[in-house]
Amino acid sequence: MTQALEVHERISELGGARAASQSATAEVTASKAGRFVFVFGISFAILYTLFEQMNWPLFTYHPAVGKLDFWMQRARSGEGPGMYWYGWLALAFPCAALIGWLSTLVSSKWLYRATVFCCVLAILWSVIFAILVLTDGRTSFDTDLVKSMGWWSAIPGLVGALVISYFVPLQLAQRVFTSWLLIMPIGGLLILGYSLKSFFLR
Amino acid sequence: MEFDFISVTTFWRILLFLHFVMAVALLAAVTLQLVAVLVPAPVSQPAGNFVERIRAAPPQWYVAAIVILYVPTFLLGAWVYIKYRTYVRIPMEQTGQWWTVGTFEFKEHIVSMGMAMLPAYWYVWRKPLSESFASLRKWLTVFLAVAVWYSFLVGHVANDFRGVGT
Repeated sequence: MTQALEVHERISELGGARAASQSATAEVTASKAGRFVFVFGISFAILYTLFEQMNWPLFTYHPAVGKLDFWMQRARSGEGPGMYWYGWLALAFPCAALIGWLSTLVSSKWLYRATVFCCVLAILWSVIFAILVLTDGRTSFDTDLVKSMGWWSAIPGLVGALVISYFVPLQLAQRVFTSWLLIMPIGGLLILGYSLKSFFLR
Repeated sequence: MEFDFISVTTFWRILLFLHFVMAVALLAAVTLQLVAVLVPAPVSQPAGNFVERIRAAPPQWYVAAIVILYVPTFLLGAWVYIKYRTYVRIPMEQTGQWWTVGTFEFKEHIVSMGMAMLPAYWYVWRKPLSESFASLRKWLTVFLAVAVWYSFLVGHVANDFRGVGT
């Protein structure tokens, strides 16, 4: 009897949590400001991680000589190191703001599915790429191979994301919408942290 | 190279010190809010000692201070970062302080993520507080607190290597 009551309590707690996340999403998507701030946060996490991993800064700053170059420019001899962080931010912030603004123009149904598509693509792409790199011994010395794997792994990621975002029940997509705001930055930080391993393994 | 009234080194040290002062204030605000969110005082119990009074404080008190402090601390940090890249990181690399370099690299990522989450953080803490956002409020506060604490500690280590007072 006690066990039955506990199980019933847990089920109602789970139901309560589901209802809470569904009503949180409904509240967020009901206002343009809500949509903008959530989509901005989610898309920034994805874009910043992507730009950092691909090394796509809007510009490169060379602090020793005070020089600014468009896009990515390796440090030239005698000019000191190049700084890319400003360039990643300068690209990720406006792109995320643009996506945030676009999210205010589409229907809720499209917003949920598009969010699932982008987030699942980012996850699948990263996971498939990581599996390919970790299982192939040649990646430790062949950087061209790693680059090509990066692009090839996007294809199954894209297919998987399309299938999942098409078949995911709308209620589930709605329920997880606000959770992406925490999942994507934490996932991004895991990738970014892992890519710094060379500093810690010397 | 010197400015008219202060040396370049003094100028950067003043900026770094301002960054530090704002970071301390931000650290205090996020910590107090985190305590009020994670271990709130029971409603029926009257606040007694210092810790109980912190627990009893409404967590939304700190939101404006956190948002207002986070943005300029981030911008000032981004400015001081120029000096770090040439004056601090290069000697760090030359002396093999790779852990310090790596942890500082991660700091730039975590503060950027925190900066992008700030609008949503402000949104879920708006008054009147919505019950639907209770869980989000808690976890966004935890995320920002972790970001600020991590950045403060790592920044402090970098400063000890080469900065104000070293």
